[in-house]
Amino acid sequence: MATGNKNTLFLLGPLLGAIGLLAWWLTHDPSRHFEPSIPGMDNRPDSSIVLEAVTIGEHFQRFSTDFTPLPESWPRFRGADFDNISKSDIPLLDQFDASGPKVVWEKELGEGHAGAAIYQGAVYVLDYDEEARADVLRCFELTTGKELWRRWHNINLKRNHGISRTIPAVNEKYILAIGPAGHAMCLDRASGDLLWGLDIAREYGAEIPFWYTGQCPLLQGEEAILAAGGKALLIGVDCATGQVLWETPNEKGWKMSHSSVMPFEFAGAKMYVYSAVGGVAGIAADGPQKGKLLWETNKWNHSVVAPSPVCLPDGRIFLSAGYGAGSMYLQLRKNGGVFQVDILAEYAPKDGLSSEQQTPIYHDGYLYGILPKDAGAQRNELVCVHPDNIQQAVWSSGKSHRFGLGPYLLADNKLYILDDHAVLTIVKPSKTQYEQLGQVQLFEGFDAWAPFALADGYMILRDSKRMMCIDLRK
Amino acid sequence: MEKNRSYNRRDFLESGMRLSLALAVGAVGGLAIGKATASEWVWQIDPFACTQCGRCADECVLSPSAVKCVHAFDLCGYCDLCGGYLIPGANGLNTGAENQLCPTSAIHRKYIEDPYFEYVIEEDLCIGCSKCVKGCASFGNGSLHLQIKHDLCKNCNECSIARLCPSDAIKRVPASTPYLVKGGFIEP
Repeated sequence: MATGNKNTLFLLGPLLGAIGLLAWWLTHDPSRHFEPSIPGMDNRPDSSIVLEAVTIGEHFQRFSTDFTPLPESWPRFRGADFDNISKSDIPLLDQFDASGPKVVWEKELGEGHAGAAIYQGAVYVLDYDEEARADVLRCFELTTGKELWRRWHNINLKRNHGISRTIPAVNEKYILAIGPAGHAMCLDRASGDLLWGLDIAREYGAEIPFWYTGQCPLLQGEEAILAAGGKALLIGVDCATGQVLWETPNEKGWKMSHSSVMPFEFAGAKMYVYSAVGGVAGIAADGPQKGKLLWETNKWNHSVVAPSPVCLPDGRIFLSAGYGAGSMYLQLRKNGGVFQVDILAEYAPKDGLSSEQQTPIYHDGYLYGILPKDAGAQRNELVCVHPDNIQQAVWSSGKSHRFGLGPYLLADNKLYILDDHAVLTIVKPSKTQYEQLGQVQLFEGFDAWAPFALADGYMILRDSKRMMCIDLRK
Repeated sequence: MEKNRSYNRRDFLESGMRLSLALAVGAVGGLAIGKATASEWVWQIDPFACTQCGRCADECVLSPSAVKCVHAFDLCGYCDLCGGYLIPGANGLNTGAENQLCPTSAIHRKYIEDPYFEYVIEEDLCIGCSKCVKGCASFGNGSLHLQIKHDLCKNCNECSIARLCPSDAIKRVPASTPYLVKGGFIEP
């Protein structure tokens, strides 16, 4: 009996132990100390954006009426023909001496990346006055830098990688500008009088992109073309009255990007090509269908899109974006009166022509652009590609010649490139190799990203806080 | 008589003892002075040379690595869309694990005021993989960067990461200035 009890105990002990272990295993949670990462742990409020009521363009001050008109213009983002190529026949410097080009004038601006437009001797810049808390459209004389007038409205904006970042559009009659928070204003060019204002975010329920509006507005004759997002993708506004003439429905809820609307004519149709956050589309630009969506694709969908579409004459469209997005190459076709787009290529930034901020230049059958920081070994290099093989560089500037997010422009058959630190480089737009002609540090710049403007041999450039006019004439 | 006193064995031992003591005191003092004035060196990462290859996480003799991400707040843009915190093309700009770039959730994101967010690194969770550093360098101001933490580092004579660093970013620096922290927008 005693032996039997002993045996029972020997059996019962391990059994109880096993049961205990099983119970522990079933009840023990090795991840009990883990903290789940779920949305909302950053305490972001439900709605942090409060739209401030702004009386657009309410203030005006004229400083002078005396200025010297000049024949040439750079009337908008990417110039008169949207290609970033100056057609002027004025010979320009192709190298620099030790002192660099002549600095005609300099201005201190509010922090931002807004470039200038030039119209017949007048320079137009949308600035943000951080002391007065105001979007200010400023007009300067090109040859002296003398401020002629300014029109502004008060709005409270905080620094967010700069504040202002759009270029006005100017034609014979009008000036059109968009402020950082999406406040468009149209002025009479001759007088500076306010014609109308439009709060795009309020009127269209549009979402202003990260780091404020980067879209440069478009003037087409008597119409202002604006990309909204919200309840309309694009709108056309009568410049004289401010009346909205047409709206492109935004059924897919695409959002405003930093990209600008590019006019394009293909297969007999005039259209506006817009690379939004959500997709890219072509919108009819004339005729009874004006404002109608001609084609679209949401295959191109990235949260930050800054470069504008580059539309080639044969219907190929180059799209690019930063933040790891890379590029997409489309082929637009018209079959039986209907447009369609096919994707020719889609690739990471390191695998072909790509851009984070600036828009590449198409010149004489080749594309020139500066690769972004995330392009691997070729980061920040200037590359030349043939449109038939956009993922293979014909040449690159090499690792000893890197640039940044700054602008580049083609004039007098030379590429002028500004890097982040305001180093200006002249490069021959060769089809075979990188040929640097000259280079000079203009000043100790920081984030010199604003697109150039060039007219009558005067180039306007800027870094985050300083605008400069240099004389590039030989 | 005094002059002619013989130098006996006792005198010899006493002199020897005094000399030995003086030498010992001098040697100890010399060593102490030498120790106090010697320049010591420690390993550190030059953040401007680092190419964020990821080897720091794997090659350190410690596990997790003594290399950690540090944040230069004066450089940070405090962006909502942070390339160091969010994966490219994140579904949402929020703290969901599926949107975070850091494999260990070592970066904490906190709303400050519209449109600013603060990013703080929890060092205990950081493994020095440099994914966030790469994201920040590619899309932001480069405020996130790697440093060897000297409260963890064994200061090996032959740093196993330095041997393999493809950009020679790990170098010896004086122990008196043991960190190469970014800031003030100045490259060395």
